[in-house]
This record gives sequence, structure tokens and C-alpha cells, in this order.
Amino acid sequence: MRRYEQVCILRPSLSEEEINRVIDNTTQLIQDDDGSVIFLNKWGMRKLAYPIKKELQGYYVLCDFAASSAVVSEIERKFRIDDAVLKYLTVKVSDAISIEEVEAARSEAEAKAIVPEPDEESTDSEEDKPSKPAPESAAKPTEEPKETATEKAAAEADETAEVTEVNESEEKSDTTDQETEDAAK
Amino acid sequence: MAVRQQKRLFSRKKVCRFCVDKELGIDYKDQKTLRNFVSERGKIIPRRILGTCATHQRQLCSAIKRARQIALLPYSGNAQS
Repeated sequence: MRRYEQVCILRPSLSEEEINRVIDNTTQLIQDDDGSVIFLNKWGMRKLAYPIKKELQGYYVLCDFAASSAVVSEIERKFRIDDAVLKYLTVKVSDAISIEEVEAARSEAEAKAIVPEPDEESTDSEEDKPSKPAPESAAKPTEEPKETATEKAAAEADETAEVTEVNESEEKSDTTDQETEDAAK
Repeated sequence: MAVRQQKRLFSRKKVCRFCVDKELGIDYKDQKTLRNFVSERGKIIPRRILGTCATHQRQLCSAIKRARQIALLPYSGNAQS
């Protein structure tokens, strides 16, 4: 028996029932193989750092459980098939865990009362959607134009310098040509 | 010699933040803390700048990479800053 930690991102458009269905399926799989769920934590809706399957938000579920490796591969297989799961990550926390340890970990998790992480990004889905992208888009232009502007200025300065040099050399060559012509005359 | 002394004056000794503060754990789910160790562009800040010790930098890197996998941190760009 190993202890695993699994984060999965569900589609934001799912209803409460569908979310519970996915969670129940995984817990069922774990329990079928004599594994046990240590704690299950729903982080709720969060903004994704990058779009996954064209979704900008996701419903995060963290599940800590003790099970064998076969269960994990089975869960992941199900996740890959399931359209509701955007992405998942399973991390092995410890190689071996006894039943007593599972109990200890479970009581510990309960004692902590699963403090939800302070996360401003967790939203009530639609309320935040219009307000959030605005500051982002506002922040981006302020940063990037600076860089590009400085780069451009530098490039322009270089170009002008080159041009002037070229002009000078041309002029010189002209004068030398004239001189040579005069000399020929 | 003079140059060396100047350098010494200006360089402050960096200390590993995780060694100083034992309670500050490295966890891939802890997006807030990891943000401090990533540049605005989302790159991992090198050890020579941060001053973290080798052990913690290694743990930090894997944590950031995991956080990227589950879309807590961006792979690139400063989306959701």
C-alpha cells in the first residue's frame, strides 16, 4: 500500500452532481481495492494559469489516499476517458503506509479541519469572469511596450548611426572621385 | 586589491530562505510561496540570485514544475499574475 496525492481539474461547467459522480467513482475504485481515502479536499473554482482544452477556469479537487499502484493506473485510465476531467496529477507521497498510519494521517487531517487555502482566484465562477481579465490586459501593455519601445529606440539609433556613416563614406568617395577626375583633366 | 575590497562591500551574503525559516515548506500546491521564486515571465529564478541551498533549490524546482503541470503556475508568460 502506498500513499498518493492526487489533484484533478474538472471542467468548470459541471454541475454539483457531476462533480460528485467523478469523485465517487474514484473513491469507489480506491475502496474496491482495499485502499482508503485519507482526506478529500475540494478547492473549488480557480483560474487556470493557462487554458486547458479551451477552458480558462477549473474545479480543483485534491484527494489523498492509500492504495496500490494498480488502482492509480486504473483511476488515470478512467480520467483519460472521462471528458469531465481536464487534467490530473498523481504524486506518490510515501512508498509504504500501514493501516495504523492511515488512521493517524486521517485523524491529523481532521484535526487540521482542512483549512482552505486563501486564494483570491477562487471565484463564484461567473461573477469574477469579466472583472479579472481586464486588469491583466491592462497590466500587459504597460510592460511590453516599454521593452519594445526601448528596443525600437536602440534599433533606430543604430540605423541612423549607420546611415550617417554611409552618407559620410559616400560623400568622401564622391569627393575623391571628383578629385581623381580633376587630376585626370 | 582595491577592486576586490569594493566587491566585498557591495555583495551581501545570501542565505537560503528555507534553511532560515524551517516552517516554510516547499509544496507544489502552495502557489503563493512558489510565486516568489519565479520571475514575472514564469521562469525559475536561478540559485545564484536567490541564494537558496542546493537541496532546497532542487526541491523548489520540482515543486514549480509540478505546479505548472496542474496549471497553478504558468509555463511561460505572466497570465494570472
